[in-house]
Amino acid sequence: MTVALLAIPREAFAAIGCTLSNPAQDLKYLFPEMTSYKEDLKEFPRLNDGAELFKSLKARLGSDLDPIYETYETPYTVYGIYKGKTKIGVVHGVNVSGKGGVIQVFLSTDPNTAAIKKFFFQRLESPASTALRDKAFRSQFEGLTLADFYKHDYYAVAEPGAAADKVGKLAVPKIDAAGKPDYDATIRGIRKNLILLDFFVYGKRFEPFFEKAQTVKAGGTKQ
Amino acid sequence: MPAVPRRSPASASPAVPTPSQFRRTTEVPGGTVILGLTLLLLCSPARAAISATDPFAGVAESTAAVEPPAGTWAKRFFNDNFGFRKELMSEFATSAHAPAYSRQSAGFETLKKFSSETATIAAVDFQGRLVRRDRFVPVLNDQEGMSRPGWWFEYHNAYLDLYNVLDPVLSEKRQADNIGRFNLRAGRFYVPFGLNLQTDTHGTILQLSNERNFGFERDWYSGLWGSINENLNYDAYYLAGSGYDLKWKGQSGLGAARLSLANKYSSEYGLEGGLSVLGGQRLSPEAAQRDPLVAARGGTSSVVDTQRVGLDGRYRQTIPTGLLTWTSELSGGQDRPDAVFAQLYQAEYLHSSRRWGLSAQYRRFWQDGPGVDDSIIGEATWYFRNDVGNSSLHWIKVNVERKLEQIQGRTDTIVAFQYYRYW
Repeated sequence: MTVALLAIPREAFAAIGCTLSNPAQDLKYLFPEMTSYKEDLKEFPRLNDGAELFKSLKARLGSDLDPIYETYETPYTVYGIYKGKTKIGVVHGVNVSGKGGVIQVFLSTDPNTAAIKKFFFQRLESPASTALRDKAFRSQFEGLTLADFYKHDYYAVAEPGAAADKVGKLAVPKIDAAGKPDYDATIRGIRKNLILLDFFVYGKRFEPFFEKAQTVKAGGTKQ
Repeated sequence: MPAVPRRSPASASPAVPTPSQFRRTTEVPGGTVILGLTLLLLCSPARAAISATDPFAGVAESTAAVEPPAGTWAKRFFNDNFGFRKELMSEFATSAHAPAYSRQSAGFETLKKFSSETATIAAVDFQGRLVRRDRFVPVLNDQEGMSRPGWWFEYHNAYLDLYNVLDPVLSEKRQADNIGRFNLRAGRFYVPFGLNLQTDTHGTILQLSNERNFGFERDWYSGLWGSINENLNYDAYYLAGSGYDLKWKGQSGLGAARLSLANKYSSEYGLEGGLSVLGGQRLSPEAAQRDPLVAARGGTSSVVDTQRVGLDGRYRQTIPTGLLTWTSELSGGQDRPDAVFAQLYQAEYLHSSRRWGLSAQYRRFWQDGPGVDDSIIGEATWYFRNDVGNSSLHWIKVNVERKLEQIQGRTDTIVAFQYYRYW
């Protein structure tokens, strides 16, 4: 599934980061039973521990932050989806830099388990766009949580091919070398999206998995 | 902020060694010994048992509570869904027939969204600038500046959006069916004609057609917007037709409607487009100045009977080194008694680094009787910051406009330099 787009949404306000350009339509597609949605603007400078969180993003992402797409001031919009009074979903998008330009990676997640329910692109300008938009590829991510990505950090180093490594078992779509950077950017975008959701919505609930992965990866003795 | 369900506290870490620890215990000097031990381990049931052990077994999710909202009402107001951005613009221009122009400004934009427990119900947006102008030159992005020498505080956007305004009278099922369909906007915003509604030209030198077509690019209005179905969006408004100031000087105002492609077309095909209609009366001293016949009908207030139909489109295509964008706006109609026809064609290239870009535009406005205004424009931009969501912009631009034909005044070449920062 692909959801709508547009860099500049119907609101002229330019400080709302990676938003759904047509949230009502897009969210309705994802959650046909929804009755309302609520936007929540998140900016690191406005969070109580924003500076510390931003600093920790790089370590959890495992790579340097992009000076254009991943600044301290970059705003994020989190959508809460409701059926009546019950929250039935969370949707959030991030921008990552692809070879052909920006890639906008959106996730809808379970409000209770934080697991991915759907992964989709809002904007994808890539030579590998057909393969990356393929439903079979995207559906592999359903049910994964940030914990699975943190665990992968350990398994990829210590036990490549481990059965418990859900992220390591993801089937890479058939793309040529020109599309590989956009595949990598997509995976990075999914991980970044989950980390930010963990910060903004889920109270850093997967932090123990990050710490554990770092500890065992480093060969420490802390148990 | 949603409450996070409490979970059981993190249990103790597993007593079994992790694979990495296990490997450390087997490391002894001597390659042969290591090889032998490794082979033994690979074949042994013990290795199989340890490998099957999940080093994350027993690691539980944190039960830390989500950050509570800030304490006081004021603090919550300015933290919760409150966006604030600052703006600096420094622009200089010169031409063969005008003295050097300077426009310096400092501004801001603020957006506050209001929510109920389960829905975003309203938003208020305001843009303002304190501007200093010296020696006016008609640069594309400052047509209003002619009447504002010296210091001015200008407002640009000033509007209220109410989302899903019919919800109070709809059943829950009807609310669900019509979500996003009936949103009300009231205030000052881009004229709902052509691509400007979905294009932020607040900081750019290159502009779209409306300023030249109507004499203003923003107006005061009220009406509904939303999505009709998965393929089409709509906008339907009543406009004051007065441009910058909200005033009534005998004009009846304008009705405007626009049907546009749903955003999925832009996402999937890089395509935007729409059909706009607009009719009624507006205040336009510029239109009256161009033609005595228009002025004679408009009286001292320059009321102009206006009709327009417009077609617009924008197509974005990725190429190996960046992004190409083609934009076009066409509109025809009347500034009674004259027929008018406006055209705009624009090509843009943005390098994949988003660090630099080039643009070219041709614009033509024909009015039956007075004649033609047309220009060709070239622009080069270097971006220090160029966030895709426009949340952080920082650039320098050089813009050259060659006025090929002029209804009033002489043909000219205007060179403009701009420094712009929005953060």
